[in-house]
Amino acid sequence: MRVQAFVLTALLSVASGVFAQTQNAKATSKAFTVQRMPDGHPDLQGTYDLATLTPVERPSGVGPSMTPDEARKLEAANAKRRAQGDAKIAGDRPAPPKGGDGSVGAAGNVGGYNYGWLDPGSTYNVVDGQIRTSLVVDPPDGRVPPPTPEARKRMAAMRARPTSDATESNDPGLDRTPGAYDDPESRPLGERCLIGFGSTSGPPMLPDYFYNNLHKIVQTPDSVMILTEMVHDVRIVRMNAEHLPTTIRKWLGDSVGHWDGDTLVVDTTNFTNKTRFRGSTEDLHVVERFTRVGPQTLLYKFTIEDPATWARPWTGEMAWNATNGLIYEYACHEANYALGDILRGARERDREQAAAKAGK
Amino acid sequence: MREIENKQRRKPVSERTHMKMKFFASVFSTAAALFLAAPPVAAHHAFGAEFDSNKPVLLKGKLVKVEWVNPHSWLHIEITNAAGEKEVWMVEGGSPNSLLRRGVTKDSLKLGTEVVVDGYQTRDHSMLRANGRNITLKDGTKLFLGSAGTGAPDDPK
Repeated sequence: MRVQAFVLTALLSVASGVFAQTQNAKATSKAFTVQRMPDGHPDLQGTYDLATLTPVERPSGVGPSMTPDEARKLEAANAKRRAQGDAKIAGDRPAPPKGGDGSVGAAGNVGGYNYGWLDPGSTYNVVDGQIRTSLVVDPPDGRVPPPTPEARKRMAAMRARPTSDATESNDPGLDRTPGAYDDPESRPLGERCLIGFGSTSGPPMLPDYFYNNLHKIVQTPDSVMILTEMVHDVRIVRMNAEHLPTTIRKWLGDSVGHWDGDTLVVDTTNFTNKTRFRGSTEDLHVVERFTRVGPQTLLYKFTIEDPATWARPWTGEMAWNATNGLIYEYACHEANYALGDILRGARERDREQAAAKAGK
Repeated sequence: MREIENKQRRKPVSERTHMKMKFFASVFSTAAALFLAAPPVAAHHAFGAEFDSNKPVLLKGKLVKVEWVNPHSWLHIEITNAAGEKEVWMVEGGSPNSLLRRGVTKDSLKLGTEVVVDGYQTRDHSMLRANGRNITLKDGTKLFLGSAGTGAPDDPK
């Protein structure tokens, strides 16, 4: 609940920034000269902050964009909620309730932590001067197509197994999946600091609506590097190259790129069978298009294809806005005491259960 | 909000979202509906598996060490337990990157600062560790404040 509250807060507080972004987007949509690299291609380099209030999908019945007034209200409400989260509380407060504080989801009934730690974004994303209500633009209803019946079965089977092939864990506690806490290898990839959780490094590279949303692009004629702040995932896009043999599989897939006019097109295949973007298979195929649309803005467009998961391809887009912010070190393993704590907690539970059984 | 979440906790996310949408579509505007379409948030790790909801703790003491590591900081706090003995507890916080972006650095948080933390102890009770559900100064002021915006040039100032 606390984490969800964070998200709601994020959505709300972002409202004020949206308006500013809108105006900015309008300003930048006037004439600007694309800076070019020595090889003549547009310079896409920079550090970009993907934090946004615009969700991946929008609710049924909601239009693709909103008015500046609507955005302002939502952003103001978000900011207010955020301020409430920052408000002073009693210094002589009691400990939280025994049995849990009612949190659900990722926080699993024990709560998360104060808003101050989070950086989920404060504005809605603006593309073509429109304040967007979803990243998904095709299907036109702004929603990811439903998984096929086959995919649903596969996902249900996955949930019944240990969670090592999920990037993150939203277990409410220790009781979800038998075997999921048996050893470090059965824990999710994000928890083990192997790749970022959510789909931050992707592809597709999406906002995580939480924190650490920065990405850095470094470009040469032969390769384009995209560094993702979260768990310092790095993608190296090999330009004008063939894909690796299908026997070679990578956490973030194998990315090759080419220029389509002034747009960088990145084609990614060869995912592992553990990556599972939204329950996809290792045959996931992602095509990303990066276009400079302003001095501070790239348009990022992604098309997702995996016939074993969705009956049709689907596409999303968002503006990547440049930031002056620095990307900081992500030494995830160094203080990842959580993983040990989780496994020790599971062994405690095993002992309790064994003792209860012996006592019968 | 909390009550709503509690009632819905056993339902799948899609169903919950649908229920919310159905309710809010009838009451509020499109904008309100959009606001409620909070994307599911992934956490770095399973909080509920790490911490014991039956072991709430309230820690009052001074900071003796801070580990500023992404994605989880750890604050070490020396307290005096009920038996009058000194104990050092480790408290899990969030990502220091977010703090750095608003100008909070290692130097902003002085060792020796008196803090109050409420949270839950790890499931292994031999460890003196807890989550930093709320980390405040003695008077209840939040130690770290969030701010709208990220410092990006397009953000509102």
